[in-house]
Amino acid sequence: MFSTSQETENQRHEMNLKSLVFVCVCAMAFTLLIIRLLQLQYFEYENNLKRAEENRIRPVTIKASRGYILDRNGVVLVRNRPSYQVSLRYNNLKTKEMRDSVFNRLLKITYSNGKRLLDSSSLAFSFERGKWQKFRLQRLIEDASPEIVALFEEHSEELPGIEILVESRRDYPFGSHGAHIFGYTSEISETELELPENEHYVMGDRIGKKGLELSYEKEFRGENGSKFVEVNAMGREMGAVEGMPFIEPVSGNALVTTIDWKLQQVAETAIPDGLKGAIVALNPRNGEIYAMVSRPPLDPNIFSLEKRELHKAWASVALDTAKPLTNRAISGVYPPASVFKLITAAAGLEYNVITEHSKYKTCLGGYKFGNRYAKCWNARGHGVLNVVGALRESCDVFFYQLGLDVGNKRISEIGRRFGLGSALGVDIPGERSGLLIDSATYEKWFERRGWKWSSGEILNIAIGQGALLITPLQQAAMAGSIAWGKGLYKPHFLKEIRNPEGEVLRKFAPEKISEGKISDKARDLVLKGMDEVVNSPHGTGRRAIVHGVKVGGKTGSAENPHGDKTHAWFAAVAPLEAPEIAISVVLENAGGGGAMAAPIAQKILDAYFNPEVK
Amino acid sequence: MKRLDWLFMISLFALIGIGLALVYSATSNSDLIWYKTDWFKQVIHFTAGSLIAGIIVFMPATFWRNIAWITYVVAIIALVIVAGSGHISKGAGRWLDVGGFRLQPSEFSKIAYLLANSLWLSKNRISIEQPKTLIVPGLLFIVPFLLVLKQPNLSTALVFTAMAIVQFYWAGFRMVDLFLLISPVASIIFSAISPLYWNLLIISVFFVSIKFKFPLWIIIFVMALDIGSGYASQMAWNSMKDHQRSRILTFLDPMRDPKGEGYQVIQSQVAIGSGGMFGKGFGEGSQVNLSFLPEEHTDFIFSVLGEQFGFVGTFVVLVLFFILLWRGIMICRLYENRFVNLVVAGACTILFFHTFVNVAMTVGLMPVTGLPLPFLSYGGSFVLTCMILIGLMLNMRLKGKDII
Repeated sequence: MFSTSQETENQRHEMNLKSLVFVCVCAMAFTLLIIRLLQLQYFEYENNLKRAEENRIRPVTIKASRGYILDRNGVVLVRNRPSYQVSLRYNNLKTKEMRDSVFNRLLKITYSNGKRLLDSSSLAFSFERGKWQKFRLQRLIEDASPEIVALFEEHSEELPGIEILVESRRDYPFGSHGAHIFGYTSEISETELELPENEHYVMGDRIGKKGLELSYEKEFRGENGSKFVEVNAMGREMGAVEGMPFIEPVSGNALVTTIDWKLQQVAETAIPDGLKGAIVALNPRNGEIYAMVSRPPLDPNIFSLEKRELHKAWASVALDTAKPLTNRAISGVYPPASVFKLITAAAGLEYNVITEHSKYKTCLGGYKFGNRYAKCWNARGHGVLNVVGALRESCDVFFYQLGLDVGNKRISEIGRRFGLGSALGVDIPGERSGLLIDSATYEKWFERRGWKWSSGEILNIAIGQGALLITPLQQAAMAGSIAWGKGLYKPHFLKEIRNPEGEVLRKFAPEKISEGKISDKARDLVLKGMDEVVNSPHGTGRRAIVHGVKVGGKTGSAENPHGDKTHAWFAAVAPLEAPEIAISVVLENAGGGGAMAAPIAQKILDAYFNPEVK
Repeated sequence: MKRLDWLFMISLFALIGIGLALVYSATSNSDLIWYKTDWFKQVIHFTAGSLIAGIIVFMPATFWRNIAWITYVVAIIALVIVAGSGHISKGAGRWLDVGGFRLQPSEFSKIAYLLANSLWLSKNRISIEQPKTLIVPGLLFIVPFLLVLKQPNLSTALVFTAMAIVQFYWAGFRMVDLFLLISPVASIIFSAISPLYWNLLIISVFFVSIKFKFPLWIIIFVMALDIGSGYASQMAWNSMKDHQRSRILTFLDPMRDPKGEGYQVIQSQVAIGSGGMFGKGFGEGSQVNLSFLPEEHTDFIFSVLGEQFGFVGTFVVLVLFFILLWRGIMICRLYENRFVNLVVAGACTILFFHTFVNVAMTVGLMPVTGLPLPFLSYGGSFVLTCMILIGLMLNMRLKGKDII
């Protein structure tokens, strides 16, 4: 290619020429830049310096307003309130005299009772930090009361560099009611900020941390706007600057929930003070949750408090042994106790192990299995019963024998059909799956403890004790889907998402998560049992009778290692043959389900079916 | 002749030193502990970069030819990976996590393209009159170009374009050939700006190609392509919805983005201008600190310089850059070898393009593009890329004679 020396010589010339061209282009380009720099730094120097010194234009983020949470009828359950932050813009205090004078004036501000608003050590700390983070605002008083704000407004002339920022905080007008459903918001943490999905957030933004606030964070958030404002010498904003971009914030979307606030209120007040427990009321036809209560209560307003107050309040709820932070309706797992007999009975009937007329050995208050004597809850015995009677009177001896005949595998199969043993997928975080176990898994799970599955274990399972756990939500869904007979629906709070203009953006479509069905004959008999539990003179759940509607239910009294008294359970559906509402109630260590839990379910059902009486 | 070029080395280290001082000044109000500051990270970047450059300098002469293709393939794969699943930072998928480090494949792909294109052009002649000679260099260019453009990273894609043009020039293209080559792109842009410019462009393409006696089929082809692309872009533009147009305009000119880049440029000019002849002194620029907290130590580091050191500072830095580029390109004069020439010219183009576009942006002569300033701007991948380029140039200077 490069054969002759002449050609090489030519090429060398060519290359030399090219590097010369390159150097010339560089020189021209840099000359252009230097001319421009001369223009900016020499000819327009005075003007630029003036602009730099007077530069009072500042970009400001306009925070989007967070979307509200509403009940199914439009009652506002969670809204926003303004929150005032008294802040220091250190950079506005140019001289030491100014800093000292502001510092001293701040110290002199007192409440009407003479108490100092700011203590000198924390104020000194804020000033010290301001020195390092010159261009960041230092928060002096978080969530200041209107009186304090007024005080600062009054003295604003003497306090340059002190600015009052308005932020928006969550407001829960009903206090602790519904707190476990809504969850709460708080300042985004540094670890959260680093997640790629949180790239839209900045330090100091508030983000949903639990409950619906977390699940629907993306909907609530909206989009922040921005503007450029001019500030005066005091650091006060004088308004947006003409000709500069102004982006309106877009408010977050509102969440219309399936909650029926009237029902929720009744449920909230139904549990006697001091008791722990949970209530769930839902529509078995589509999974809409009407009410969900967990006790002890939690006041979500504490999470909107000023930092020091928040730490105090947080410590008290986090360390409370009663665990008020836990939403027991979805995160509390309990032995289902006698309510589970519905499943045992359904399994016996579905697999044709028994019929309506099948009878077992007479109940004399207990049942001898091998060398073990398993007691019936009623020591006097129930005599001879069929399946309906056994449900009505919750006879343990009948179900011991039925359990042995049906076997754990088939009981589990029916349990799973009605939503036990796995999380139902409710749209708030923290749902637990409970425990519905087969013999192999049982042995694997309890291997370390050396437990082996024995055929006697089925005695416990059949009456809802032993290796069985269930959440109140599962209990309600189970009872509801047995009665409805047309499928088990995913329980949910989302009804609609609406944009700030009130237009519906999307609706939740009922989602069937399992067929939730047994044969009509089996279902009829189980429902008959539920009917008699409430409406027969011998039923255990007679205190759930509601005027004008046929209620079916099942009581339970769960033995547990946490106290002498049993957990009181009651599951109810009404109207029994065409259910509109299913309820589960659990009260920890409160006693018998019929005596303690049934009256609570009754109150809610009464409110639902006889609203005009209230 | 092969001794170290002291002028080159002095200007290089002067620039690095000034850069570290400016990053320190721009980030000094952070409340992080010293070893977590961006300044310290930048020191680490330069230490690592210098070590790598030191190793590169003493690589055997045949090394670059041997690794050129594999480097290119690896870079393309990395670009494809980020295109698929890159780390989303600031809304643009540009990052790749490699063993705990976040790398920007688009930075390193510049080096890969440099080596691969130099290798091809050093062995093959190209001519606009023989289109099949352009197939391979065209493909070499278009693949990384489109992948980077898709990120979206228009500015880096333009760096590729600048490299391609300069290397084609070095490989034998005349200015007029380059003019015809880029005329379709110019046609698209001019048709968007104004019909008058577009008409002038088409007419000048016609007369230039006649004047330089191009074969008829090339004239027809180029004219058809230019007119076609101009009309096609017009038609596409008219059929677009408003928000699509606005997206494209923002892509071409980020100053349009109302999130405040325009504000940054105004603030940057005020900052530089308020520095005057001698500046406000090291660490004193309140203007810069106040105005663009997130970007000041990366894209707007030149504003920090202008405010704190005035015209004297900006002038000295530009002169240092000029010396660096001048001494750099002069390596070409030492050897006839085409590969050496192409690599050095390409490396100098990358450094020049970055420098010019970045400074032009901070003084308001160009739209905000997000191209960092070599040796001054903060940023790990970019520092490493620059140091690798320096290493390559020094290696060419030292071993250029042995390279066959």
